[in-house]
Amino acid sequence: MRAFFRAVARIISGIVAELSDQNAYRRHLAAHGAVHSPDEWRRFQDEHAAAHSRRARCC
Amino acid sequence: MRRILGRILWAGISLAAAFSLGTVARSQGEPVNSTWLVIASVCTYLVGYRFYASFVAARVMALDDNRATPAERLRDGHDFEPTNKWIVFGHHFAAIAGPGPLVGPTLAAQFGYLPGFLWIVIGATLGGAVQDFVILFGSIRRDGKSLGQIAREEVGKVGGFTALITVLLIMIILLAVIGLVVVNALKGSPWGTFTIAATMPIAVFMGLYLRYWRPGKVVETSLIGFVLVMASVFGGQAIAQSPTLAPWFTYSGVALAAGLIVYGFFSSALPVWLLLAPRGYLSTFVKLGVVVLLAVGIIFLRPELKLPPFTRFVDGTGPIFAGKIFPFCFITIACGAVSGFHSLISSGTTPKLLARERHAMAVGYGSMLLESFVAVMALIAAASLQPGVFFAVNSPAGVVGTTPAAAAATISGWGFPVTAAEMQTLARDAGEQTLFYRTGGAPSLALGMAQIFASSGIGRALLAFWYHFAIMFEALFILTTLDSGTRVGRFMLQDMLGEVWPKWGQTNWKPGMLTTSAVIVAAWGYFLYQGVVDPLGGINTLWPLFGIANQLLAAVAFCVGTTILVKSHGARYMWVTCVPLIWLVVVCFVAGWQKIFSPLPALGFLAQADQLAAGPQSADTAALIFNARLDAAVTGIFLVLVATILIDSIRVWMGILGGTRKAKSTETPFVPTRLAEES
Repeated sequence: MRAFFRAVARIISGIVAELSDQNAYRRHLAAHGAVHSPDEWRRFQDEHAAAHSRRARCC
Repeated sequence: MRRILGRILWAGISLAAAFSLGTVARSQGEPVNSTWLVIASVCTYLVGYRFYASFVAARVMALDDNRATPAERLRDGHDFEPTNKWIVFGHHFAAIAGPGPLVGPTLAAQFGYLPGFLWIVIGATLGGAVQDFVILFGSIRRDGKSLGQIAREEVGKVGGFTALITVLLIMIILLAVIGLVVVNALKGSPWGTFTIAATMPIAVFMGLYLRYWRPGKVVETSLIGFVLVMASVFGGQAIAQSPTLAPWFTYSGVALAAGLIVYGFFSSALPVWLLLAPRGYLSTFVKLGVVVLLAVGIIFLRPELKLPPFTRFVDGTGPIFAGKIFPFCFITIACGAVSGFHSLISSGTTPKLLARERHAMAVGYGSMLLESFVAVMALIAAASLQPGVFFAVNSPAGVVGTTPAAAAATISGWGFPVTAAEMQTLARDAGEQTLFYRTGGAPSLALGMAQIFASSGIGRALLAFWYHFAIMFEALFILTTLDSGTRVGRFMLQDMLGEVWPKWGQTNWKPGMLTTSAVIVAAWGYFLYQGVVDPLGGINTLWPLFGIANQLLAAVAFCVGTTILVKSHGARYMWVTCVPLIWLVVVCFVAGWQKIFSPLPALGFLAQADQLAAGPQSADTAALIFNARLDAAVTGIFLVLVATILIDSIRVWMGILGGTRKAKSTETPFVPTRLAEES
């Protein structure tokens, strides 16, 4: 039972991380071999924004 | 033994689905508890997922977990990344679920709860979820390409270009109609207007906070944003009760529409990080939270449905929108049953994240079933209102009478008793001046949700808070769809213009950016204004137009899906996509034809224009005549565009099936996966 709840918690935190772009940022850091910094975050935002703002959201 | 137990379990679920569907369908005249709708829908989804989706996955698509997906093959750390199935599920669901599954079922409840309910459940299981699944599959097998690209490669250049134009036009109508829903919800409501207006500086604050003060702390920023938004919901009450401040936030429909148009322009032109991104985060979390809250509320509080299963308006004389149950019930509910717009998401980000092919079933088919369940919950919330109240809120003054007494008398005369005093008390409890003529679906849905939440015992005295909380929730993510849609529309227009003059394709070229933003905003703003000044409330005109457009896009997606299936299996499995395609084509073309040519002025655009032309003339009348003819032309353009892609697709299918054309597929060759089993 505890394992089940742990798995559920892991999935929820994963979804939150995906929706809040935390995962995307982690991938960005890994791809650029960079570490987190305010400037790096802003670079990510600017790069990510171009793709993100082209995504349609449904009605 | 496990196999036998499994069969017994599935037999039990199937029987529960059949029994509860039967109970809902047979309940003529007796009140039905919403629990039956919940059981009927959930059991039908489970059976559909276990048997139909599995069949499509195994036999029709032959999903293969040994085949590397684009996320693995093209992994780049940006767009393509193998991701946990349930995380992709959450991401995909957040992208497909917008205001449509909430508003459409609420409006269609004018026919009673039963037709909408059956269409939502059956339409999603056999149509909408299949569309999302097939397009997701098609995109996974084609390097995550978009619907337009797949249409161009599989059907032909004409089909691809038609799909692009159709999407742009649908976007314009969609943005106008959801803008109208917000305007109608906030018209004359200082509490609602203050709350929604406050979300804009809150979003800008979040943007600055995330950019400069706490870079990268999205969850923290979203939590702060949520607290501020909740404070604005409470603050709105103080504003509404203040004789000095209330007039500052009390606006007419035209003024609110102008505000939305200005907002749309700025949201398209401003940097994404400042407004769009923080608002997107906030709206996504609020949306998911409220959907869960509503599900918990309905499951535990089990409200009784007060609307009848069928109303007298199945004959087409409904006050909310004109038209008979066929085809208009199936047009009014698009999102929640079949939504063509989903095909853009299924061929957008999602295929680039799937780690295994078989995950497409849970993500593509399963997410749509969940959205369908959201639509069922919205229908329950609307149908739990007293019918008289439901029609008083949703009927325009042009139909029921311009005074509360006249409106109450008209609605009571239909057999749905309601009094002006009763509505006045309800409006006071909800913290509003009036609840008459609040067309658009959002206010009645908010009222239904508020009554469900307030009946929990802990919140009976908080009806006004829950009502405005629900309005805030609806408006927040409608505006998110509006601002991101405006931007997407701008990019699409820039892409198209860029084909002619490459400079226009550069998204950072300021003159191009400002001009295309203005063109897109002006396009949807025009239709929004037209809806606001429409004497029948605008929803009667714009929502069916949007429904037709959205379902026609689904027809385009099914054309593409059928082409893919015909190229893989010949005629053997083409029924999987052809049956919903035929249904949608019949529904959309009948609805489109009636909207253009019906001799009834309440239904047909041309008849409406003729009726206006025969009456006394003024500048306003001339504008209304022009608008009716424009709407007829737009509907006609939609039908011609989809007929074009349909004919093009049939030509391809007949060529392949007749042996005169080679079944050349653009599917990427098989590459074995190297991902470990656990991903």
